[in-house]
Amino acid sequence: MATVQVRLPGLLAQILGGSKQIEVQADTLQGALDRLLVDYPALKVHLYDESGQLRPHVNLFYNDTNSRWLSSLEVPVHDGDTVTVMQAVSGG
Amino acid sequence: MGMTVAVGTEKGAYLARSDEARSEWELEGPLFKGWKVTAFEEAGDGTYLLATGSNWFGAALHRSADLQEWTQIADGPAWPAGGERKLTQIWTLTRAGDHLYAGVDEAGLFHSTDHGQSWQPVDGLNEHHTRSAWEPGLGGLTAHRVIVDRENPDRIWVAISAVGVFRSDDGGATWNPKNQGMPAAVDAQEFDNIGHCVHGLVQDPADPDRLYRQEHLGVFRTDDGGDNWERIEDGLPAGFGFPIVLDRESGRLFVVPLESDENRLPVDGNFRVYRSDNGGDSWSISGTGFPAPATFTAVLRGAMDTDQRGGIYLGTTAGKIMTTADAGETWSTPPWTLPRILSVRVLGA
Repeated sequence: MATVQVRLPGLLAQILGGSKQIEVQADTLQGALDRLLVDYPALKVHLYDESGQLRPHVNLFYNDTNSRWLSSLEVPVHDGDTVTVMQAVSGG
Repeated sequence: MGMTVAVGTEKGAYLARSDEARSEWELEGPLFKGWKVTAFEEAGDGTYLLATGSNWFGAALHRSADLQEWTQIADGPAWPAGGERKLTQIWTLTRAGDHLYAGVDEAGLFHSTDHGQSWQPVDGLNEHHTRSAWEPGLGGLTAHRVIVDRENPDRIWVAISAVGVFRSDDGGATWNPKNQGMPAAVDAQEFDNIGHCVHGLVQDPADPDRLYRQEHLGVFRTDDGGDNWERIEDGLPAGFGFPIVLDRESGRLFVVPLESDENRLPVDGNFRVYRSDNGGDSWSISGTGFPAPATFTAVLRGAMDTDQRGGIYLGTTAGKIMTTADAGETWSTPPWTLPRILSVRVLGA
């Protein structure tokens, strides 16, 4: 398995005990996200809405790629890859 | 014994603490910096509950034993996964004995019997046959007030804007709209008694059949548990407003009138609390201590509370807190300026 760094915005750091960065072990991007929610189940309600989709103003980047641009999250991950949860720049 | 008034704002929660005299205040916070804080409640097991919201990250419920260290509750109020409804805010938390209720937006009621650790939808209300006619107001489609009758806990009122007041007489199994005599704010077409934009609701501690409601279209009173309502605005400069509070010790009723639903500002910039000493038959300005004219700020529906012994506490959209310890004879304004205040709750009242 690869070690993937997951970075979160400050508003969600409380769920990680104040840290904005953690590591998860996974084979795929989907696996990394699943692992993240197993380790920190309180994150789920903040990242996904009732439809199971990523919240409209939350972006999730796999390295430099917006996850919404990927046709599938079942892509292999490698040591040192990053998953970044970003609070979209929305509003005025 | 000290006092704690919890204040929820657009950007975090604050704790105003005072001694028994309630004259000197100190401020702690922010907690949940950056989050909207929409509701507080005591869970009944010595812990506290607090509701957060976010335009990005949704709503959640949290628990603390000391108001400092908080843990998010995993199984908070939630609409079913895969459904159409979205839970955007937890607007109110209400405890009656071992029963906790959460009113939410998108409108619904949830119930807990384990001090808030798990929540079940109250289907009798949430799936009410009139639901297809429920339309959101400016503040959303929101269940924002729950009252459980102290003498008969099977009798429960819920206020939903812009829908109206519902009452259950069987512990929440079935519900009926209770808006007879109210002007309609929204044309609900196929259903009578729906489309009433209730902003605030309070029960008279001396008479469980008497309730008062601050409505979009005025201030009203019922003497039969909500079956019939009558307008009570004698002496008010405007009927519009959001909160309505009744202090048990003095028996006084308090509102904060605003000029029309279009403007939603104090009339002529004269920010005043009004009170009634006679159950709403007449109203007058509540004492002294209000800011100078040209104070164009408002008090939102959840932002005024009482300790039930003459202490009234309100927070404004301009981030100011006002307090009185003598049932509205004299008001004080601590020197703090907070973000826009959404909720004010006396803890331990």
